[in-house]
Amino acid sequence: MAVISLDQMAENGDDIECIAFFKTVYEVFQKIVKAFDGSIDHFYNIGGRTVCLRFAGSSLIPYLTPALNHLATKPTSTSALTICIWDQASTSIPFPLTDFIHSLYTASEQHLVDGRGELKHYNNERFRTAFNLGSHALSLLDTKQNVAFYWLNNEPSQLPYYERGAPLRTILHWSLNDKTHQFVHAGAVGLATGGVLLTGKSGSGKSTTALACLNSKLSYACDDICLIATESIPYVYSLYNTAKLKSIEDLQRFPHLVPHTSNADRLDTEKAIIFMDKHYHEKIITGFPIQAILLPHISKQTNTNLKTATAGAALIALAPNTILTIPGAGQIVLQTLAKFVRQVPCYVLEVGSDLSQIPEVILRLLSPPPIQ
Amino acid sequence: MSELTIFTVNLSQIAHETIDGEVVIIHLKSGTYYSLQNVGASIWNLLENGANVTEIIAQITHQYEGNRNEIENAVNRLISELQEENLIEAATGEDHIHKSRLKIATEVHAEKPPFQTPVLEKYDDMQDLLLLDPIHEVDETGWPHRQEPN
Repeated sequence: MAVISLDQMAENGDDIECIAFFKTVYEVFQKIVKAFDGSIDHFYNIGGRTVCLRFAGSSLIPYLTPALNHLATKPTSTSALTICIWDQASTSIPFPLTDFIHSLYTASEQHLVDGRGELKHYNNERFRTAFNLGSHALSLLDTKQNVAFYWLNNEPSQLPYYERGAPLRTILHWSLNDKTHQFVHAGAVGLATGGVLLTGKSGSGKSTTALACLNSKLSYACDDICLIATESIPYVYSLYNTAKLKSIEDLQRFPHLVPHTSNADRLDTEKAIIFMDKHYHEKIITGFPIQAILLPHISKQTNTNLKTATAGAALIALAPNTILTIPGAGQIVLQTLAKFVRQVPCYVLEVGSDLSQIPEVILRLLSPPPIQ
Repeated sequence: MSELTIFTVNLSQIAHETIDGEVVIIHLKSGTYYSLQNVGASIWNLLENGANVTEIIAQITHQYEGNRNEIENAVNRLISELQEENLIEAATGEDHIHKSRLKIATEVHAEKPPFQTPVLEKYDDMQDLLLLDPIHEVDETGWPHRQEPN
């Protein structure tokens, strides 16, 4: 088990209040781990780096790990990131600043949080903190020590579907993003030799396109969120193996997926989510080089067609959804995405009603032209 | 707004990027995003480079074929709209006397593209998401609501 040194926390130039807060949080986590007779560690290869999820108690494991199962890897003592995880319902040890957290629910105190959940007093170059009012989850990251905390101020069973479908997204975004790696709101399907990124706003047809490829040679990396590397050859890493059926039309298009829905008892209030690794393990791919960006658009035609798109159209499709849904994202992320969309050709994918044509069109795009 | 007024991009609240002649602007607080093309993108880039209103009108008139009054009105209208959307603000203090980083083109082109009234394309389909949860699927009821935990 990796050892986290509290002594390393206080260094010249760091914000004293933040350091004190993080130290207190870590001390509380250690007490809870001790009360549970040790932590339960799960390891994942995420974007080429090993991430350790360190659970105090087992109650959150069934809710946070299924979406990451396809990335499970062997234990190591040298993780790139350790995320300490617990829920308040499983322990009587109070969380530091509980009153402060509860005050965030009141309108008068919401000036302490920005629109994307960042707590203004606890964010600086080294420390990142965000509270999600929808899931009641607090995310903290110490970028210097690569230690994060995820505290759920609720019953694990009440974790919303979007958090189970894309767990720990805020922390992973903070930690894995750098000048060449970026979380994006996009799907991806392809072959080991190369594939396409699917982007556009919700309802544009990303999931339909990705899921229509299950019965083809194409493998499924994701249909909603992934990590891209904007190096000389852009590459996409699968993050979550979660598929979402968002509308009645989706349910009608993919009736064979409906029995695999993990939240069938909650579809009156939630979108259907399916953990693809559990039911389509052989179709999952963890990453591939990106050969093109496709902007799906559900058309009223039968046939599926490709049309050339501008880099600007691709940036409009990719950037707002990505930047506005991730705490802390801004100008640097936009520049990274702009650089990326310039690197690969972009197309509008006019998605027709004959779904079998979708993988055929993509496979033709990925195929090298015949040698003359 | 004076003809010598220069503007600064509201970098504390927006992210912006010019790509293949199109400007993409995202307002990080409101969740609204925008695009500017052609003449609009030219005006944005002039504003970003510290040109004042007079310089912008001169440059656009030089760059595009069109009626000067029409260009002047269109430039003023777009600048007002960008201010109303809180994407730019009139410079004050040292910024105000900062000289334009722009070198106004003087060469004469044989054929200039026709002037087209710039349009600030505005998209607000992401706005509802910001104050709730960092998710992108909010259903008809606006779920999730801010509620105390169970």
